[in-house]
Amino acid sequence: MATRKETPSTPTAPMASTSPGATLDSPVKQIQIEGLVVLKMIKHYQEEGQGSEVVQGVLLGLVVEDRLEITNCFPFPQHTEDDADFDEVQYQMEMMRSLRHVNIDHLHVGWYQSTYYGSFVSRALLDSQFSYQHAIEESVVLIYDPIKTAQGSLSLKAYRLTPKLMEICKEKDFSAEGLKKALIGFEHMFEEVPIVIENSHLINVLMWELEEKCTVADKHELLNLSSSNHLEKSLQLLMDRVDDMSQDIVKYNTYSRNLSKQQQQKHQYIQRRQQENAQRQTRGETPLPEEDVSKMFKPPQPPPRMDTLLIAGQINNYCQNVKEFTSQNLGKLFMAEALQGHNS
Amino acid sequence: RSELTNLIKTIRNAMKIRDMSKCLEEFEQLCRAFLKSKTIVDKEGMPPFYIRLLSDLEDYLNQLWEDKEGKKKMNKNNAKALSTLRQKIRKYNRDYETEIASYKEVRLFAMTTQDGRFLVICCCCFLANNTYQVFGNIFVTFLSQSPGDCGNRMHESFNGRHTSEKKKEDRKKRHKRKERVEEEAEEEAQEEDEGEWEKVKGGVPLVKVGNQMFAKGTEINTTVVVKKLNEILQARGKKGTDRAAQIELLHALANISNENILGEGILVKIKFNIIASLYDYNPNLAAFMKADMWKKCLDCIDELLDILFNNNNIFIGENITEDSENLAIIDSQPFRVRGCILTLVERMDEEFTKIMQNTDPHSQEYVDNLKDEGRVCGIIDRLLGYLETKGSTEEVCRVYLRRIMHTYYKFDYKAHRRALGLQGETKSEQDAEESEGEDSAFIMDRLCKFIYAKDRTDRIRTCAILCHIYHHALHSRWYQARDLMLMSHLQDNIQHADPPVQILYNRTMVQLGICAFRQGMIKDAHNALLDIQSSGRAKELLGQGLLMRNMQERNAEQEKIEKRRQVPFHMHINLELLECVYLVSAMLLEIPYMAAHEFDARRRMISKQFHHQLRVGERQPLLGPPESMREHVVAASKSMKMGDWRTCHSFIINEKMNSKVWDLFPETQCVREMLVRKIQEESLRTYLFTYSSVYDSISMETLKEMFELELPMVHSIISKMIINEELMASLDQPTQTVVMHRTEPTSLQNMALQLAEKLGGLVENNERVFDLKQGVYGGYFNRAFRLDQMAPQKYFDVNLTISSSHDR
Repeated sequence: MATRKETPSTPTAPMASTSPGATLDSPVKQIQIEGLVVLKMIKHYQEEGQGSEVVQGVLLGLVVEDRLEITNCFPFPQHTEDDADFDEVQYQMEMMRSLRHVNIDHLHVGWYQSTYYGSFVSRALLDSQFSYQHAIEESVVLIYDPIKTAQGSLSLKAYRLTPKLMEICKEKDFSAEGLKKALIGFEHMFEEVPIVIENSHLINVLMWELEEKCTVADKHELLNLSSSNHLEKSLQLLMDRVDDMSQDIVKYNTYSRNLSKQQQQKHQYIQRRQQENAQRQTRGETPLPEEDVSKMFKPPQPPPRMDTLLIAGQINNYCQNVKEFTSQNLGKLFMAEALQGHNS
Repeated sequence: RSELTNLIKTIRNAMKIRDMSKCLEEFEQLCRAFLKSKTIVDKEGMPPFYIRLLSDLEDYLNQLWEDKEGKKKMNKNNAKALSTLRQKIRKYNRDYETEIASYKEVRLFAMTTQDGRFLVICCCCFLANNTYQVFGNIFVTFLSQSPGDCGNRMHESFNGRHTSEKKKEDRKKRHKRKERVEEEAEEEAQEEDEGEWEKVKGGVPLVKVGNQMFAKGTEINTTVVVKKLNEILQARGKKGTDRAAQIELLHALANISNENILGEGILVKIKFNIIASLYDYNPNLAAFMKADMWKKCLDCIDELLDILFNNNNIFIGENITEDSENLAIIDSQPFRVRGCILTLVERMDEEFTKIMQNTDPHSQEYVDNLKDEGRVCGIIDRLLGYLETKGSTEEVCRVYLRRIMHTYYKFDYKAHRRALGLQGETKSEQDAEESEGEDSAFIMDRLCKFIYAKDRTDRIRTCAILCHIYHHALHSRWYQARDLMLMSHLQDNIQHADPPVQILYNRTMVQLGICAFRQGMIKDAHNALLDIQSSGRAKELLGQGLLMRNMQERNAEQEKIEKRRQVPFHMHINLELLECVYLVSAMLLEIPYMAAHEFDARRRMISKQFHHQLRVGERQPLLGPPESMREHVVAASKSMKMGDWRTCHSFIINEKMNSKVWDLFPETQCVREMLVRKIQEESLRTYLFTYSSVYDSISMETLKEMFELELPMVHSIISKMIINEELMASLDQPTQTVVMHRTEPTSLQNMALQLAEKLGGLVENNERVFDLKQGVYGGYFNRAFRLDQMAPQKYFDVNLTISSSHDR
């Protein structure tokens, strides 16, 4: 902890996330991020990510009481086609060792990822976060939304898998019954951890100095009135998800119909067999042997529900995004209207 | 004898299951039984089935002997029996060597002929001989393999005969069957009673030529000639008869009767027979006539018609029986000859089609053959004239149909020129033109109307209607063609017709579509061509070639049948023209439609094929200048989408397309002008659909200049769009501008609507799952559930409309 002093200071950037308020029974209740990490992540995206491409990296830090302090990070290098034998784990190890040599925190505490219009709830994220959390209990995933950030407010959120979901992932039971038993809904898949951004005093001082120097004109992105582009994109993505959802539902529907049909057949078969046996008994013959009914009627493969759940989560996410965006924009528009009226 | 047959049966069974010991046992019994019936055998000669068995058995044993592997597998008993049996039969067969040899010969011959029908004929003539049993037995085996109930029937009757010994009964049966078979067999059966094995090679000895046909000094009169004629005819259809020689003989006979002035009656009869034997020359149904045969045939028919025209007192008909024929010259009594000239001509026509089908359409030979078409038409015309005076209405209908079939697909250039009002250069030329005959349209009209009124078989009428429509369509008489098509109600029941009629129907439909296109009825053209084109099998449906398909779907037999249905090349409809017409009309319909419904979630396609072509065009990694017709249309569609009619025009009408497609129309210039006009109109519509959201108002003057249309035209198009609520705008009369109302939803709103629709679907699906769980259909729960789900969707709607309205 040589690089940082353990003194509380006021955050310079606005807090990006709101606390969910729910009591969390996980080892991490709060996340404290160094300004350096945020800047590094943003820089990483600016340099390498564009459009819907996603950048990822490793978070370093350590746990203090119930607070996870993230003090540094480094990006995963972009994969190119020609070095297919590139070993990511090897690279991480190498990187961490080097960092240790220069006396920087080298404990792996999670990873970060950029997102495109808030579409990050996916199978890949779930799987990797699961493996992280499985190996290092306190790991989190930081989601950085560059588009929202470009609109004037930093958007950075930390997520962890809920213990329930962890259990399910451990058992790999994604059937409808399993999920039902675990009482997992799309709302209970991820838990959001509140974030505090903290800087050293020296930096704070520098910031104060800078603030005095810079003009007001630089901050106007916040008041941008255009909305349709962003909304269109969000809607497009939302629509795609809804389509997927529809397909899944149809699949599930056919599955359950097949299942019930088969059950009926099975039932009929058993009844017939019983009747025949009863007849045979009256005639004094030996009853037919009970065959393995389950072998004759193989139940259809139930469709995995995890994807549906993820899609639902994603849809929820989009909806929240759109809601947030529209309400903000409405406010802005009213403000603009008032200003116009005042002027004229 | 029945004992023998029974034994043979068991031996055959044993052979089948490879039971050698049983075989041996039975064989020994058979030999004994045969010795017992020696007396009968001596009287009647060797029973053929016995010979057959011996030969088969020997072959079979040899085969087994050869098969070393199989022999090893056999158990000891069987193996032993096999060797003894083999030796025995060798010894035994030596006594019957000659018979077996001749049997094998016959069998080989039968194997080589494949056509089932021919076999039937062969069988029938063999029936006539005493040796029928031998051959009959042999043929049964082959016939049972050949398809059709005919073979089966034969089989049954043969089996029946095996058991019965009495010859008289046989005779009766034979008589019954004979009615199906040609009459010649009948005569043969009565006359020839000596039959030997050598039959195969010989045939009836008719190798006498020319004047030697009759013994010198014999007075040649009608009866003698008729007798001779019959004699020659008896050989007809028999195996080994030299058919060419037979034709020669008949010709010689005709000459003789001419020399001796025996009158036209006998001549007509001989001619009939010559033509019939010419047709018979090819044993196979699929084969076609040789050129010289064909020429001879045409000549013969011509001569026959000459005779018939010159002599009014000859009656011919199918219903005149052989006995009531009157061939001799008796004063004041007309000749009566059996035979049907119409059937002969029909057959000739079919042969002509066959020849055309079997000639390579790109060779000089085809052109040469096609030159005969005129002669065929001439013959049909003459026959038509003849039958109009003498034939029954049914016959007239048939010959009319033939005439129609030769007329309907030809474009009448003379009439066309006349209709255009092009005067002949000089007065005399004009006169010549007029005197050359009436328009084909009049002919078609007259013939078809006669058929409509008089015909009683549905098929002829259907064909006539279709040809009539085709002819109308070919000559751009769109309304007549359409009305006739609609009035005939053929669309409803054409699927019950036989394939050739269906092909004709398809051809007519296509021609109708092309006609509509020429007349500028794009929608009608598209509708008419849709069925043919969307199947992707236009070639097959029009009978213009077989599609490559895997063999499971079609075996050799079917392929042969399909080949016989093909339309000769000179009657083909150009497939590229067809496709181009279809694609262009699809383009003219689809592009504005696509522009109008750009945001419709559930947009239906007008033409799948057109969309397919567009997609293919999009998939191209590198877009060069268009080469093929399709690429041209795709490129044109793209520029039309942008409302750029000039580029579109240059893609559709240029040198390449002209030579490929448009020049094939008779009125090229008209079609091109129509096309340009259509392109301009539709481009205007597309432009308005696509870019109306950009404009607040647009002057009609500008539009007029942009699309080079007249102002009233622009006015009418825009008015139409406004009335149909395709374009949200109003016309401002004084300034001649179109004022947009801008009420179309923005893309965001469109998207929201789409989302709402999708969510609706999602909810519906969800409900279904719910229903299944609850086992209740449409219960109370559903409604509550739906309200829950609907809430967010409404929320979006409101939100979006507000925000987008503020956006402006």
